[in-house]
Amino acid sequence: CHTSGMLTPNGKEYAQKIPREELTHLILKLLQAWKEPLSHFNQHHQELPDDSLSKAKQISNMVHELKTGVEKSMGIISNSLNGMASSEAEGLSIGNEADMMSDSDFIHCFRRDSNKVQSYLKILKCRIMPENSC
Amino acid sequence: GQSYPGKPKIIRCRSLEKETFSCWWKPGSDGGLPTNYTLFYSKDSEEKTYECPDYQTSGPNSCYFDKNHTNPRATYSITVMATNEIGSNSSDPQYVDVTSIVQPNAPVNLSLETKPSVNTMYLWAKWSPPPLDDVNSNSYVYHYELRLKREEKKEWETISVGVRTQYKVIRLQAGMKYVVQVRCMLDVGEWSEWSSERCMQIPNGQSPPEKPTIIKCRSPEKETFTCWWKPGSDGGHPTNYTLLYSKEGEEQVYECPDYRTAGPNSCYFDKKHTSFWTIYNITVRATNEMGSNVSDPHYVDVTYIVQPDPPVNVTLELKKPINRKPYLVLTWSPPPLADVRSGWLTLEYELRLKPEEGEEWETIFVGQQTQYKMFSLNPGKKYIVQIHCKPDHHGSWSEWSSEKYIQIPTDFRVKDMVVWIVVGVLSSLICLIMSWTMVLKGYRMIAFILPPVPGPKIKGIDTHLLETGKSEELLSALGCHGFPPTSDCEELLIEYLEVEDSEDQQLVPSHDNGHPSKNAKMIPKETDSDSGRGSCDSPSLLSEKCRECRTLPSILQTPDVRDVQGSKGGKRTWETQCIASEQKTLLFNNESTKSSTWPAAQLPNNQPPMFAYHSTVDAQKITLNTTNVNIAPVLVGNEEKHQSQYPITETVHNDMEKQREVENLHSKTDQTTVQVKQNRSNDKSTFLNPKLMDYVEVHKVRQDEPAVLLKHKENSGKTEKYTVPGTSKEYTKVSTVVDHNILVLMPDSCIQHASVSQEPAMETPPNLQQGQGEKNMSYCLTAPSECRRETSGSEYMDPSSFMPSFK
Repeated sequence: CHTSGMLTPNGKEYAQKIPREELTHLILKLLQAWKEPLSHFNQHHQELPDDSLSKAKQISNMVHELKTGVEKSMGIISNSLNGMASSEAEGLSIGNEADMMSDSDFIHCFRRDSNKVQSYLKILKCRIMPENSC
Repeated sequence: GQSYPGKPKIIRCRSLEKETFSCWWKPGSDGGLPTNYTLFYSKDSEEKTYECPDYQTSGPNSCYFDKNHTNPRATYSITVMATNEIGSNSSDPQYVDVTSIVQPNAPVNLSLETKPSVNTMYLWAKWSPPPLDDVNSNSYVYHYELRLKREEKKEWETISVGVRTQYKVIRLQAGMKYVVQVRCMLDVGEWSEWSSERCMQIPNGQSPPEKPTIIKCRSPEKETFTCWWKPGSDGGHPTNYTLLYSKEGEEQVYECPDYRTAGPNSCYFDKKHTSFWTIYNITVRATNEMGSNVSDPHYVDVTYIVQPDPPVNVTLELKKPINRKPYLVLTWSPPPLADVRSGWLTLEYELRLKPEEGEEWETIFVGQQTQYKMFSLNPGKKYIVQIHCKPDHHGSWSEWSSEKYIQIPTDFRVKDMVVWIVVGVLSSLICLIMSWTMVLKGYRMIAFILPPVPGPKIKGIDTHLLETGKSEELLSALGCHGFPPTSDCEELLIEYLEVEDSEDQQLVPSHDNGHPSKNAKMIPKETDSDSGRGSCDSPSLLSEKCRECRTLPSILQTPDVRDVQGSKGGKRTWETQCIASEQKTLLFNNESTKSSTWPAAQLPNNQPPMFAYHSTVDAQKITLNTTNVNIAPVLVGNEEKHQSQYPITETVHNDMEKQREVENLHSKTDQTTVQVKQNRSNDKSTFLNPKLMDYVEVHKVRQDEPAVLLKHKENSGKTEKYTVPGTSKEYTKVSTVVDHNILVLMPDSCIQHASVSQEPAMETPPNLQQGQGEKNMSYCLTAPSECRRETSGSEYMDPSSFMPSFK
């Protein structure tokens, strides 16, 4: 996976130890890393049946929205310039790699990364607001 | 004798290794003398002949050529000479090419071993090349061949081995004994002999273990995980299992950190050894004495193999809010190991419930809440409920929690109870009231509800018709089709008259009984008398008579007989009339019956047909006395239908007789309204002198209700009851028939004098005659009077006299 290079906590304890901002950064980095490849995927796979195509577009949109939402809720805006620049650069380079992947690998990597993002977000949520079903 | 030796023969030359060779010869006969043998050879085509260098080494009668004397490329010509005292003899020359006679000895030291291989056992055969004296023998290169077979079999399997002195035989069946041999050959020459046999038993069931398989890997809380495998067969030896894994992106292979915690044939990875979002490559190796075997690799990413434990602390609470139905709240806790609080693992729940006796579960998805409200359960029933959970992302459902029983309390609401109680009380009250009312005013009510059954009426006469006063209808109802009496009637009449008398007498006693039916018996006669049908009688009467007492068959008979002769129609009408009445089935169905029932004929005491009067009178009296009030005399409403031909209705009977008559009149209709009005002729023209006649009012005659003949004097009202006019007067004669439906009776002057005033018997005939003129009238002719009985009908109108006029 093109995001394998990223250092991400691969266990609960590690994830809990990381400070919040760092975790948020990580989430955003991950989301950013997938922006390019997803749109690329959509462009190059017009031959898929319509419902798959729409699903893929839907997912791209979701990723984008998620990213925006996280940014807003975390008040990252202030830091975003720095963070985003680097992450964008990173994302671009990573995105190039993503072109090389086969479709099944692409999907497999995306599935994993989205699961990562989901887990990190949940940890964040329960850290920030523990009363909601935590 | 002694002679020179026989010719020796060279039997064989052989080389073991191509560098030496030997020849053997066979001596011929020795001639009886000691013989010397010498071998001479020459090489190729050389002239020079040599003698054998060595006679010893190869044994007797052999010659051994050692290396120095052996030239593998040369061809030897060898002869053997046998010499004795007398002479000598030479064998044929033998040409020997050394290379062609090479044949090594068989290999030696054949040994066999069984060794386990990867999956099976193999046989390991080892041997040594044939020994040679020469030290250099090791330099010879032999080719070997091996052959083996199963001990019990015959066929050998030959395997070319090569130059090595060992060989591994595979594909051997366990438990079998094998036999092995080897032989060798040099590059030239022939194969050696087979070595001696060696046998080997392949051991049974001993093999390396079978490949194990990895069943599943699970993580209960997304922090650790466990893998389980299933061993194959162990190959007869104790087998060890080792689990090896490597992680994605790493080369290093690790062994399972913990074989015990999770039980046998499992490997437990604790937190330290568990990494997420990485793929593990896991294999299991089984090892035993015979070998080892490795399972297929199993790839697993821990994130996706989470299967939690079932939820715990399932509790129920019954809540009873005001103004609402009570409901049940089910609550539970997530499994203890799952860390839901940190958000690392999020669980979704699902519950299922079914009634205790039910078969199918109803599954309800609850989501991430840990409680559920149940509203729609049936009170009084017992339910079973279970819950399970699953991670909200990839993962699998846990096992169901243990069964929890719910018993819905059956509480009746107070309101409901009150309603039921009130209903119960009210209904019981109502019942009480009703029963009380019934008891007290039973009769009335019953009478109101079920009106009493009216008494018997004269059958055959339609009272309604009588009332309505439509003579035609009445008469037609009576069934008098052929009103004008036929000649048959005449005879009938006559006989009828006779019969009646006797009948009367008979009737009387029977009548005494007051039985309407008996009246009926009498009736025939009497009907004869009053209704025009007289003898014809009312069918009903006849029928009754017939039916009830067959003792009087004769009356009918005669008329019947006559009828037969006469017009059947008449009878038929009679019949129909009768039929019209209730006693349909009676007499008239059967002529014979009719006849049989007709009493007239049989009456021994038959008085002349006057009977009617007499009898009727008597009968009447008696009937009057005895009859039921309900019985009303039927007067003769004559109707056309009266085909009773000559109704000799004279007397007015209150009894059934009259009924019968009326019935006769009726014929078909049940009711006739016969009205004979005294001194009245409504629309009915009467040519009778009212004074002369006593009119009897006949009130409605209904079915089973006798028409009430009332003397006007006595009773002018319509009653169903019988008012007895008859006591004062007896109407025994029909004076006339008026208006088609009125029969005017003349009181019998003979009998009663008081009332009867001017009834001119004389007049009657004319009247009758006149009446005859009216078609619709039916006549009853001449009721006999008692007085005149003896006279046999002197007073009677002879129907025959005017009968024809009718025709």
